[in-house]
Amino acid sequence: MQRNDSQSALVLGLAFRDFIHERVMSACFVLALAAVLLPLLVLFGLKFGIISNLLAPLKEDPRYRQIVPTGSGHFEPQWFTAMAERSDVEFIVPRTRAIAATMRVRDPAAESGRIISVELIPSAAGDPVLEELDAPTAYDRVVLSLDAADKLGIAAGDQIQGIVSRTYAREQQTELLPLQVTGVAPAGAFARDGMFVSHDLLIAIEDFRDGRAVPELGWTGSAARDAARSFAGFRLYARDIADVAGLRSGLLDQGIDVRTRLADIELVESMDRNLSIVFWIIATIAAAGFALSFSSSVWANVDRKRREFSVLRLTGFRGRSIVWFPVVQGALTALLGWLVAALVFLVVQAGLNALFFDNIGGGEAVCRLLPSHFLVALALTIAIAGIAAAAGGSRLAQLEPSLALREG
Amino acid sequence: MFRLTVPHLDIPRGAKLAFVGESGSGKSTLLELLAMILRPTASDTFCFRPGNDEDAHDVGIAWQNGDRDLLAGLRSRHIGYVLQYGGLLPYLTVRENVELSRRLLQQHVGDAAERWAARLNIGGQLDKHPAELSVGQRQRVAIARALAHEPSVLIADEPTAAVDPLNAERIMQVMVGLVEETGVTLIVASHAHRLMQRTGLRMIELLGGADAGGSMQVTVSDAAE
Repeated sequence: MQRNDSQSALVLGLAFRDFIHERVMSACFVLALAAVLLPLLVLFGLKFGIISNLLAPLKEDPRYRQIVPTGSGHFEPQWFTAMAERSDVEFIVPRTRAIAATMRVRDPAAESGRIISVELIPSAAGDPVLEELDAPTAYDRVVLSLDAADKLGIAAGDQIQGIVSRTYAREQQTELLPLQVTGVAPAGAFARDGMFVSHDLLIAIEDFRDGRAVPELGWTGSAARDAARSFAGFRLYARDIADVAGLRSGLLDQGIDVRTRLADIELVESMDRNLSIVFWIIATIAAAGFALSFSSSVWANVDRKRREFSVLRLTGFRGRSIVWFPVVQGALTALLGWLVAALVFLVVQAGLNALFFDNIGGGEAVCRLLPSHFLVALALTIAIAGIAAAAGGSRLAQLEPSLALREG
Repeated sequence: MFRLTVPHLDIPRGAKLAFVGESGSGKSTLLELLAMILRPTASDTFCFRPGNDEDAHDVGIAWQNGDRDLLAGLRSRHIGYVLQYGGLLPYLTVRENVELSRRLLQQHVGDAAERWAARLNIGGQLDKHPAELSVGQRQRVAIARALAHEPSVLIADEPTAAVDPLNAERIMQVMVGLVEETGVTLIVASHAHRLMQRTGLRMIELLGGADAGGSMQVTVSDAAE
């Protein structure tokens, strides 16, 4: 066994020395390989760059991850707990009935005292649409939508007043709530007049509208609701756009009808799929062509060096050890060809990105590859070149030692 | 069809032997049989005893059993070769060419290349590649390589056919000197009848010719002597 190892190690060294010795021919093989690999890298880089550019806004904008129930239902607290534990759910909070989830607000400092009606949006820590803003977690903390803040002339840090009314025991009742605006939501977060509030405030408003007491806020009424209550809806965001389809079908299976932006995501995904198919067809044809030409070159080379291989056999090398000779050279060719192609790719990539810089927004690259793409390209190249070389050099395994090489 | 018959051939250890004959007379075929490279069509007794303290290996049985590993082992351990065109590996230096068989056999390499180069007068060429040497120097390297792993038999197939007569003479003398010094058995195939004679090799002629059917029938034997 030790003998086998040392023999193989010797063959590796010999193959390397021969590769260096025949450097001109080796360089030709390396360039031929780079010439096949480079356009494939550029093609894949373009596909990856373009699809990444199309996917980037979809990945950044939480609306593409939002799953909105179309009707109202009865969702129990256990259901929310179970949903929150799913790995494909980024964020879920309960919603109360839409009719109970509004409030009138005004700026108590303003002379005019303009009152607007805002929709209440339940929020919690980690709310994807609030980005880096702190989500409201207390009764008196709120985040206003941009529209609502503009209409009230309010900025982060200001105080506003919330006004809630109900008809209870045939009497009109109005309660005033001092609210601290901790932030103004980004433009995309909510397109109408809205206010992000804590879960506690939201259910307090629903309870108040339903005529119940809210002891925490000092509001009287019929007995407070016990802890086990169900909710009419939810705000749900998938962890990734790729999770939307799975979540959607899971909800549909539970009989919950939902609305998503899946069509937009699937459009890009199907484009990615189709471009990938085109790429792999081209890559397969190129790889097959390269493998054929490379293995026939190796075949011719082995034939040319038959005398040298025969000497190795005569010295005592086994045929199956000698097959490693062209395989090692194939792997070396692959490594160097890949290196050349990768370096030229970086230049081509910089050129392409400069050329199309004006056509793409946000300074995104139209052509780019991840380090892992380069590594996969290297592994595939070495595998294909190694196999092609082994096929071209396979007859070395049957080569008999000979003193004179009279035949041929 | 070519038929080579060997009725009887006994090569004692330390012998210096030359098979002579025209080209195409079967010299290389005979050497390949003796080198255990070529499988004999049929054999009665074919034994190889590499050393005094070693049992004889039955080469004929090994061929019948297809025991190629045994034959390959005997070959690489006990036989050294000098080919007509040197057969050196062009991508290795002279030193590496000489050391290759020792490395393959996992023998201690040490200064083996220097020692053999000095004996063959090629001490200054060790770090050159074969292409930088003259044909005569290359044959000397080939002899150093063939002897470096201390084989018991040296087989040389037309070792001087590619060099001029003066060099041929010198190379043969160096080779014979070395085998006499080391006790290695020397088997040469050559068509240079007189050179072999002058160098003091025992000559065995391959005799034969075309028969009525056009086939070559060659017989080689030492029985007549």
